[in-house]
Amino acid sequence: MNINMEAFDQFREGVSRLPEMIPPAPEMADDERVRRFKKTIIESVAPHQAMDLETCVHCGACAEACHYYVATQDAKYTPIRKLDMLRRVYRRELGPNRWLHKLLTRDITAEELEEWQELVYDSCTECGRCSLICPMGIHIQDMIIMSREALASAGLAVAEQRALAQEQGEKDTMFGMGKDMFMQGVERLRQSGLEVPVDQPDSEILVVSTVMDAALFNDAMEGTVKIMNSLGRPWTMSTCGFEGANFGYMAGYYEYRKDATMRVISAAIDLGVKTVIAPECGHAYPALRWDGAAVYGKPFPFEVLAISEFIGREMKAGNLKVKPAFSGQKVTYHDPCKLGRMGGVFDEPREALKALGVDLVEMDVNRQQSYCCGGGAGNFIINRAAPLRAKVWELKRGQFDQTGADTVVTSCDSCRINFMVGAQDTHWEKPIESLAALVGANLAE
Amino acid sequence: MSLLDFARGPALQWSLIIFVFGVVWRIVGAALLMRTRDFSKARVSSGDRVKGGVRTILTRSVPPETFEKRIRFQFITGSLWHIGYFAVVLLFVPHILFFESFLGFGWPGLPNPVILVIGAITLATLVALLVRRMIHPVLKIISTADDYISWVVATLPLITGFLAMAHLGLRYETMLAIHILSFELLLIWFPFGKLMHLFFVFPSRYNVGAIFARRGVRV
Amino acid sequence: MKKDQTVGEALRQRGVSRRGFLKFCAATASMMALSPALVPKIARALENARRPSVIWLSFQECTGCLESITRSASPTIEDLIFNVISLDYQEVLQAASGTHAEEARKAAMQENHGKYLLVVDGSIPVGNPDYSTIAGISNLDMLKETAAGAAAIVSVGSCAAFGGIPHANPNPTGAVGVSEIITDKPIINVPGCPPIPAVITGVLAHYLTFGKIPELDHLGRPVAFYGQNIHDRCYRRPFYERGKFAETFDDEGARKGWCLYKLGCKGPITYNACAVTKWNDGVSFPIQSGHGCLGCSEPNFWDKGSFYRPISAGMWGTPEGLAAAAVAGAAIGVGSALAARSRQKKASEEEGA
Repeated sequence: MNINMEAFDQFREGVSRLPEMIPPAPEMADDERVRRFKKTIIESVAPHQAMDLETCVHCGACAEACHYYVATQDAKYTPIRKLDMLRRVYRRELGPNRWLHKLLTRDITAEELEEWQELVYDSCTECGRCSLICPMGIHIQDMIIMSREALASAGLAVAEQRALAQEQGEKDTMFGMGKDMFMQGVERLRQSGLEVPVDQPDSEILVVSTVMDAALFNDAMEGTVKIMNSLGRPWTMSTCGFEGANFGYMAGYYEYRKDATMRVISAAIDLGVKTVIAPECGHAYPALRWDGAAVYGKPFPFEVLAISEFIGREMKAGNLKVKPAFSGQKVTYHDPCKLGRMGGVFDEPREALKALGVDLVEMDVNRQQSYCCGGGAGNFIINRAAPLRAKVWELKRGQFDQTGADTVVTSCDSCRINFMVGAQDTHWEKPIESLAALVGANLAE
Repeated sequence: MSLLDFARGPALQWSLIIFVFGVVWRIVGAALLMRTRDFSKARVSSGDRVKGGVRTILTRSVPPETFEKRIRFQFITGSLWHIGYFAVVLLFVPHILFFESFLGFGWPGLPNPVILVIGAITLATLVALLVRRMIHPVLKIISTADDYISWVVATLPLITGFLAMAHLGLRYETMLAIHILSFELLLIWFPFGKLMHLFFVFPSRYNVGAIFARRGVRV
Repeated sequence: MKKDQTVGEALRQRGVSRRGFLKFCAATASMMALSPALVPKIARALENARRPSVIWLSFQECTGCLESITRSASPTIEDLIFNVISLDYQEVLQAASGTHAEEARKAAMQENHGKYLLVVDGSIPVGNPDYSTIAGISNLDMLKETAAGAAAIVSVGSCAAFGGIPHANPNPTGAVGVSEIITDKPIINVPGCPPIPAVITGVLAHYLTFGKIPELDHLGRPVAFYGQNIHDRCYRRPFYERGKFAETFDDEGARKGWCLYKLGCKGPITYNACAVTKWNDGVSFPIQSGHGCLGCSEPNFWDKGSFYRPISAGMWGTPEGLAAAAVAGAAIGVGSALAARSRQKKASEEEGA
């Protein structure tokens, strides 16, 4: 792997220090928490979610889809149970039988909301696997997102995510890294001889990056730049819209989410681009591609593609060619939950890998049923959830080993970090590569 | 008025009225909440989204292999008792005549001994699943009173129907009256508990299918 | 016939041989599911029984019950037995009329006070007793005064047992059965519209033999004849089980003698001896003739919906009623949703989250 392991260790260190640095959550009275939680639920429930909440028959199948339950066999992680606070508010306040539920269903309490923080944050990565198994067709995932928003409004977002969301929203930095770190990454590439257009007007394509690439996954950033340059079309990055990650989106703070998304949208509009490319950062893709127009209030005047999606499209059109540099090597591809199941991108990464000549070995569970890495939706920075993530690593590691592959390829920084942490802690030696990095490093002349 | 006259007459009338009233109320009340428009660009046409939704209504009944391995027991037993229950309800001739009286048309039924066997298997499966609900850690932690009440209310007609058909228990016309009354209890409870999934499962599956189809994901 | 002649003397006088008499006793015993060992007892009891006084009162009735019993295909022993009891009052059969008939009734009541058997057919109008009077006396009064000295009462036919046709909705005369008026005498209900002749005589034979009324079910009917439902003794039952039904009265199923459940047969909920003893000396019964059982030995059989409506169809109301329920549900549902939506709107406009 072509990344700086020192930077990786520093990053791990930084994450573990986070709790010391976070200001305490603002004080809030119990009944105020309950009121705010209820308010968010009441204003958010849509008809399809109402009908979903009416349909649950408590069959327990969702537990069998959830990587946290599968890895720990602890029933408290049953996905529909994570929605219990939301469900009770819906039933008592909005449902057609609320007159009955006021009598029969217990009201929520602040203590329970505090208890539910762990379920909705630590033990859920909003990966959507439960939405695929539910025999009733309940879309549990999008109600977890609502639950995070409600908990955040009640001052109960998990501390690390609260801090990052606020930091990003107010200062446009993450872990203290912002535009400066981004430009450092750009300069490093320029010094190695690459052209990196930034803030270029008259561009067709805006490539959004992430400070995680600039600071840590330089290989992905380099690969992306090389790919873009090889296509010969006017493209640019932006110092106003450089960050694809969105902690407000993950933590459930609408205002901070909007701040981060609007930076990218405004940059794209100011530059007049037709295409915006999201980096290899899991939730960045749905935050922009599927949920970005909601904060914009109308359809985007541009299209959004993930970098792996873009790679696949350009290969198919014959514009992008690679050398079959990995001929005969056994490689397995991990579908990131936000890119695959929640994003719709499965085929393009595989086409790219095939073009690289790999012997692609699929895991027993893959594509839209792929198991989440265990650290998505910003969970990789929740310190107290480390043991939980370690259990999920065992599950994923078992999958990797079963394929007999020499290399794991994925297209998401979050997945990469989680796998690298697990690999480091269990001395698992195989590399975990970025698709963009591999493609960019092996372009045909 | 004998118990049977009551069960076949006013009790049936009013329980059907409560059933229809309650079901329509609950569906309409849930379906008309505030909705938001999705401004993101769909990956597929709206026709394909509808197809995706309809497809999921059908395919969600049979889990793909990855999931089926893990939920095999509940998939097999759940399917078994649902199919058996509907077979008994819809293919036993006296029941068909009940439906015919307000639909205006009937359909062929199965011989009584076949219905008895299907009913017996269904009942045994239901009992097994009740026990499972009481001892399986996931089910124990998520089950509520509704789950147990609905089980009793749904199983009573099966048990009383059995007793009536086999002429066990009380005098036939009394057992028949109790069977019909147990069905009426089911009708009255229906709009208020989880049995409503009979109706809600369709829009729920459709919606999850359409939402994911929009993103180009087949579920 | 002399009034104090025994039954045995009267029968011999009529030319009934000893053998014929014993055959009748054996048939009666078997019909009532009594042990063959009891046959000599029955024979002895009947042989020596004083011809009991029987007063037969007819109220709001069609005379079908009497016709059923007397109008046999050929003179039968039952017929003879009827002539052997001392039928001291019966408006159709007696020769006397007018005041003579009433005097005969009063005389019989007085002479046999506490010992005579009262047989009643027809219902009694209680709503307005003047709806039905005989010799200026209302049915209600006549019943009460005649019942006072009776040893037991036999209500023959569904009208006397449960109110019958006159009792059917809207029951304009306030018709009721005997047991709703007389509560201090033993009453045997022998319902049917009409009842089977052999059932009547079987009940009488039992009373004469044992001096008490037979075992009765919860509706006061002799268990010997009304203890099983038609469905359990119906010869077409295998077709019910196999799922073979006649759909109309002249289709293939009807011609092949398949089950009549779909054509409204009330066999499963009707208790009577029709499927075993049958009618017209065992020639046939309604189901055998291709028509579903009407349930005529059960109370209110006129008011259980159409004779042709299957039992399981129930009387669930009207489609309009259910449509109204749906509309009402939709209206309340819309109201509930609108109220919820306004809450949602208010919450989203509110500050503070």
